[in-house]
Amino acid sequence: MISKDFNPFEMAQAQFDKVAEMLSLDEGTREILRNALREYQFSIPVHMDDGTVKVFRGFRVQHNDARGPSKGGIRFHPQETVDTVRALAMWMTWKCAVVGIPLGGGKGGVVCDPHNLSMREQEQICRGWVRQMTKNVGPLNDVPAPDVMTSAQHMLWMLDEYEAINGAKYPGFITGKPVGMGGSLGRTEATGYGVIFTVREALKELRIKPSETTASVQGFGNVAQYAIKLYNQMGGKVIAVSCWDQTDQISYTFKKESGIDLDELLKITDRFGGIDRAKAKELNYEILDGDAWIEQDVDILIPAALENQVRGDNASKISSKVKIIAEGANGPTTPEADKIIQEKGIFMIPDFLANAGGVTCSYFEQVQSNMNYFWEKDEVLSKLDVKMTSAFLAVSDLARKKKLYMRDAAYIISISRVAQACKDRGWV
Amino acid sequence: MNRNSKSLDSLISQLQERAKELNCLYTVEEVLTNNSLSIEESFQAVVDSIPHGWQYPTITQAKLELEDSIYKTKGYFGTEWRLVSQIRVQDKEVGLIKVVYTEDMPVIDEGPFLKEERKLLDTIAEKIGHFVLHQRLKAVINDFNQVKDGIRITGRGEWRIVLDMIRKTDPNLFMGILRKLLHQLTWDGVEDAEKILKNSGLSTRSEDDAELTDENKPMKKRLITNYDEYIEQILSLADEYLPDSKILEKIQKWIQEDKSSALVKVLENQDTSLSQIGDAIRKYFHLAPEKFELSPSTKKGLRVSLLRRFFTEDLHYISIAKEYVKLTDFYNLIDKMIFPLASHGKLGGKSAGLFLAAHVIKKNKGSDPIMQNIKIPKSWYVTSDGILYFMQYNNLEEVLEQKYKEIDEVRLEYPHIVQLFKNSQFPPDIVKGLSVALDDFGEVPLIVRSSSLLEDQIGAAFSGKYKSLFLANQGSKKERLSALMDAIAEVYASTFGPDPIEYRASRGLLDFHEEMGIIIQEVVGRRIGDYFLPAFAGVAFSNNEFRWSPRIKRQDGLIRLVPGLGTRAVDRLSNDYPVLIAPGQPKLRVNVTIEETIKYSPKYVDVINLITNQFETIEVPILLKNFGDIIPGIENYISKYDGNHLTRPNAFQMDFENDDFVFTFDGLINNSNFIKQANKILKMLQKQLNMPVDIEFASDGNDFYMLQCRSQSHSLHNTPDPIPKDIARDKVVFSAKKYVSNGRVPDVSHIVYIDPQGYYDLETKSEMLAVGRIIGKLNKLLPKRKFILMGPGRWGSRGDIKLGVNVTYADISNTAMLVEIAMKKGNYMPDLSFGTHFFQDLVEASIRYLPLYPDDEGIIFNDNFLRRSKNILKELIPETNDMEKLIHVIDIPSSTEGNVLKVLMNADLDEALGILRKPSESEIVFDDQEIEYEEAPQHDHWKWRYKMAETLAMQINAEKYGVKGMYIFGSTKNANAGPASDIDLLIHIDDDESTRNSLHCWLAGWSLCLSEINYLRTGYRTDGLLDIHYITDRDIKNKTSYAIKIGAVTDAARPLSMGNQ
Repeated sequence: MISKDFNPFEMAQAQFDKVAEMLSLDEGTREILRNALREYQFSIPVHMDDGTVKVFRGFRVQHNDARGPSKGGIRFHPQETVDTVRALAMWMTWKCAVVGIPLGGGKGGVVCDPHNLSMREQEQICRGWVRQMTKNVGPLNDVPAPDVMTSAQHMLWMLDEYEAINGAKYPGFITGKPVGMGGSLGRTEATGYGVIFTVREALKELRIKPSETTASVQGFGNVAQYAIKLYNQMGGKVIAVSCWDQTDQISYTFKKESGIDLDELLKITDRFGGIDRAKAKELNYEILDGDAWIEQDVDILIPAALENQVRGDNASKISSKVKIIAEGANGPTTPEADKIIQEKGIFMIPDFLANAGGVTCSYFEQVQSNMNYFWEKDEVLSKLDVKMTSAFLAVSDLARKKKLYMRDAAYIISISRVAQACKDRGWV
Repeated sequence: MNRNSKSLDSLISQLQERAKELNCLYTVEEVLTNNSLSIEESFQAVVDSIPHGWQYPTITQAKLELEDSIYKTKGYFGTEWRLVSQIRVQDKEVGLIKVVYTEDMPVIDEGPFLKEERKLLDTIAEKIGHFVLHQRLKAVINDFNQVKDGIRITGRGEWRIVLDMIRKTDPNLFMGILRKLLHQLTWDGVEDAEKILKNSGLSTRSEDDAELTDENKPMKKRLITNYDEYIEQILSLADEYLPDSKILEKIQKWIQEDKSSALVKVLENQDTSLSQIGDAIRKYFHLAPEKFELSPSTKKGLRVSLLRRFFTEDLHYISIAKEYVKLTDFYNLIDKMIFPLASHGKLGGKSAGLFLAAHVIKKNKGSDPIMQNIKIPKSWYVTSDGILYFMQYNNLEEVLEQKYKEIDEVRLEYPHIVQLFKNSQFPPDIVKGLSVALDDFGEVPLIVRSSSLLEDQIGAAFSGKYKSLFLANQGSKKERLSALMDAIAEVYASTFGPDPIEYRASRGLLDFHEEMGIIIQEVVGRRIGDYFLPAFAGVAFSNNEFRWSPRIKRQDGLIRLVPGLGTRAVDRLSNDYPVLIAPGQPKLRVNVTIEETIKYSPKYVDVINLITNQFETIEVPILLKNFGDIIPGIENYISKYDGNHLTRPNAFQMDFENDDFVFTFDGLINNSNFIKQANKILKMLQKQLNMPVDIEFASDGNDFYMLQCRSQSHSLHNTPDPIPKDIARDKVVFSAKKYVSNGRVPDVSHIVYIDPQGYYDLETKSEMLAVGRIIGKLNKLLPKRKFILMGPGRWGSRGDIKLGVNVTYADISNTAMLVEIAMKKGNYMPDLSFGTHFFQDLVEASIRYLPLYPDDEGIIFNDNFLRRSKNILKELIPETNDMEKLIHVIDIPSSTEGNVLKVLMNADLDEALGILRKPSESEIVFDDQEIEYEEAPQHDHWKWRYKMAETLAMQINAEKYGVKGMYIFGSTKNANAGPASDIDLLIHIDDDESTRNSLHCWLAGWSLCLSEINYLRTGYRTDGLLDIHYITDRDIKNKTSYAIKIGAVTDAARPLSMGNQ
């Protein structure tokens, strides 16, 4: 059976090639950035609860560490392929570079389905992964983090194994740890706040006062909630927010022309950002269908829910009043929609810039862990502000100067930064 | 109790009288069974306790004359206001008991005495009689033992003294022993004995008997001689042939057998009432408080008779139960039973199941430490004929015919029946029983459960059809009693509810003589604030029919666990989830990521509010914030969520005000014996009862309480389908021989098949996403639970969506079944998801899951049918961009001449089969004249709809409304209408606004009326039953709108003939 599977790594390479062409990168640089520096594939034998032995396939791809230690998650996925991991590792390289944090890109994984594994078996997989990789990872060369179907618990097992093997404490080996066990404060707020830091800078650039703006937000999860909180503090008014309704299995938009009251809504919201429809009605919210958030006459749209939400079929409904779209979610805009948005002349803050608050905070966790000194939340968030702001300015400066679409500008900045680091090191 | 209180409320005063009487009776019983008192002391105490039971204790005196002794109360003197009962022992009068009033009181029933007081005195007299008999027999046994001890010293022949003594005290017993002795001798081959036996005793003459041939002797005299001789002959034969020790041993055994004979006789007689049986059991134990050594066969015989009378005639049940249940168990049980005096009722299915399960565990638990704290909540029972008695008492017999009425009538009248029952009186003896039960329970919450006779019928899934009601049981005794009676009346009324009657009709059980037993059970749990709730509760199944991993075996079982009352685990709720555990593999959890764990955790708790006396549902955060600190062991039931991490909380650092907690039962599962215990219970019951079981349980935090136990196949959803072997290959769509669960899939009218090869061939992610979106649309368009989704690999994939179609639960929520196809790719076989992406949603919606492995040996996968059948995707969704090469939507009836797909699942064989067959009812004939909706069975929802559509068409004024033609299509025409289906009508009209409005009004009226009829028949409420689509000449010409339905290939609209055309 010959499959013409679409290959995520080839797609990532194609995207890179496009930018490399724009940057006129030389062949050597292209070659080194098109592929990973190092790839590890190994077996992890595990004694299962029933006494049998099962061997799991593990991966680690270090795409590029010219700018600093590789950084990236470890995924547990039943049909993980090395191509997926490669693509994601490359993506991490660009993501770290665009925010200007001194880290490279990596990704790893184990082919397994945790739904078929007990916690003890998962622990053995984590420890087995570290035993195989201990020489090639560490706070100074490759720092793992939680990802699909792995959590703080998995990170603690891995950290413990690493420290046991190496005979000392290395909290900076891994991120995503709980607060008190080497985790950083401010993690919950980081992504949502990061989105608004970039929005604030974009508004400055457009010479609009935040207090004179309105916004509509898709999603009411963690990212959206903190984004709204900070945006409100800046004086902005969110008039519509959409979210998924677990009971009805569709999403609704909750609208209040005079501005939603975040605290009031949070009281009637479940852990997954689902707002109680009946109670919202009592609080005089207008309840519209799920897509209504995109049609609002607002200045700012923040898609902070899922991928592929702004599409060719609904991008045309975006009001002419909209000036900024800040992508709080990963990949909310399809390429067709991108074209429409570009034509409308809307200022786009692309996902890997707008939602880079998360990875920045992971970097802060690593920094704090390495010095074994942990900052107060204020300190974390103010440092986050500095990072996000300077990252934004770099991208928007380039976009303005070279008349580029923001998404392209962001790619160009990040790839050129990594290319430069490779050159500076004399690799190419 | 002994105050002469005169309440204004006559019921209460009556009840108080009854309570006094009962108290008196209990005291008497207590005194007579108290071994530490001498006989004289006992009688004096009895006499002294009597006045307290009478209406005017201060002026009541009593006197007992027994043989030569007299016992009396201190102030006794004879008066004319007296009540006398005889004391009889073995039908001989041995004394009298008298009660007198020392003053003249108003005349009531028997002079100044109540009729209940007469009964009371008779009962006391009877008890004294038993006591005297008991004392005599005790004396006999004592003598006998002395003799027996003496014999060893004094030598042969002493057994004769024993027999002599028996002859004097109990001639019947003596004759019985003699007869048995004769049998014994015959048995041992003694010829003379055989002769005596042949002559068969006293009346007939035998030729061999020379001494008795003189015909002149008077008959009577000869008989007497014969009698003594007969005795003497047997005795001397015994003396001659049997050793003394053997005779003594036998005599002893025979005496004991005789004691149980009364009970045996009572039980053998089908006419004896429960109260007679009860008396016989009590008497039996009264006579022989010391342990009997009955022969095993006698014991077994007694047990079987008792099981049959108390529980069920079901042979499977009896054959198992007789090995486990002891006579003492019935002795204990009968004290908790409430029944009418002449009751022949049983306790019903639920009680029977629980009674047996409890004894199976008791007998098998051994010394296993984790099996020691298993309990049954304190329970009282009302026998099944209580309902008939209740109805007779209130002249409600005509309600019994309810079940033969049309279902719409039943539904309409049901609320009325409930009120009727609730406003009826309970017969006084039932009230008395309930009152005693309430005293026994005290002020604890109760559940009143139905336990009907039908519930123990194999194959009848009656769960949830009858009511179970919670009672807070707080307040004054009067309030509590009235609430209890109210609840029982409501449970009684539920026998006549539309759902059970409809269900019985559909299963051919209407003529079964249904009776409703009641279990009144103490609710397990404790008071938390104003609420009362168990620490946790749930249901457990010994077979797991919802397996989320191939590593979990069917026999690993399944537990559905919730905090609070178990109602939330028993029912399937769409907005809340129980915690699922496979007790055989507790480490393999359904939900592994933090997100999943939280999403599928219990969000609500069912409780009893002790202040409002109501059953309530409260939100978990509210319960924990207010009462988290006072729930013992709460750290074992919840986990703390801090955004990235879910941890078991430290018992001393739980901040219920600020922290976020989720019910995970993590501590309970990992740090306690609960799972092991549940697993053992399930395994033990399954093995001993020889069937998979389904139990309900609850825990107060310390002990495991079993609340119910029945066969798992009782649930309709869990019976294995027979897998036919002789199906023509072309009728098979697919077969499976791995990971098959039991589960009924309704008749399937549409298949949505995503060609695996085609899906893998897609080149871009956006194309793959588009597939998911089309599935979402089909989910809304296709008939709910009548289509199945068959797709490659893992449904619900995210990220790497080439592994399977990217859908959320909302995109598949209406499917009847989710099929995952694992096609080999090169030499590797993709793993399937087993539905894990939305597993608990599937469970709660009863959506079945089946994995297919077409490349496995011996598996049929009809690729041809799936890919070559007519694909109606484009008709349903015109804008599909060539997706019909990949997504095949098959309208099965139209592609296969009226067949449907039947998916037969049999977990016992681990096989499943998808076959094309005619729909459940035999072939559907569309002969208009023959359709008579009066005769339509209730599940032919389409038939009466069709008939009505025809009637409507006949009655329409075509000219007035400008109607040119009427057509019917959709589920009514296709004979697959469900209870909530509407009637799709296509009306061909003139393009004239004015007539259209009046037509619309006319039809709207019809629509509402039909909706009402449908409600009465099915219980489904809709805004209207007609779904009208208007078409005009232009539509027909251009084939626009619904006009395509006329003469369409699939689901063509059928013309209806109109009246005045």
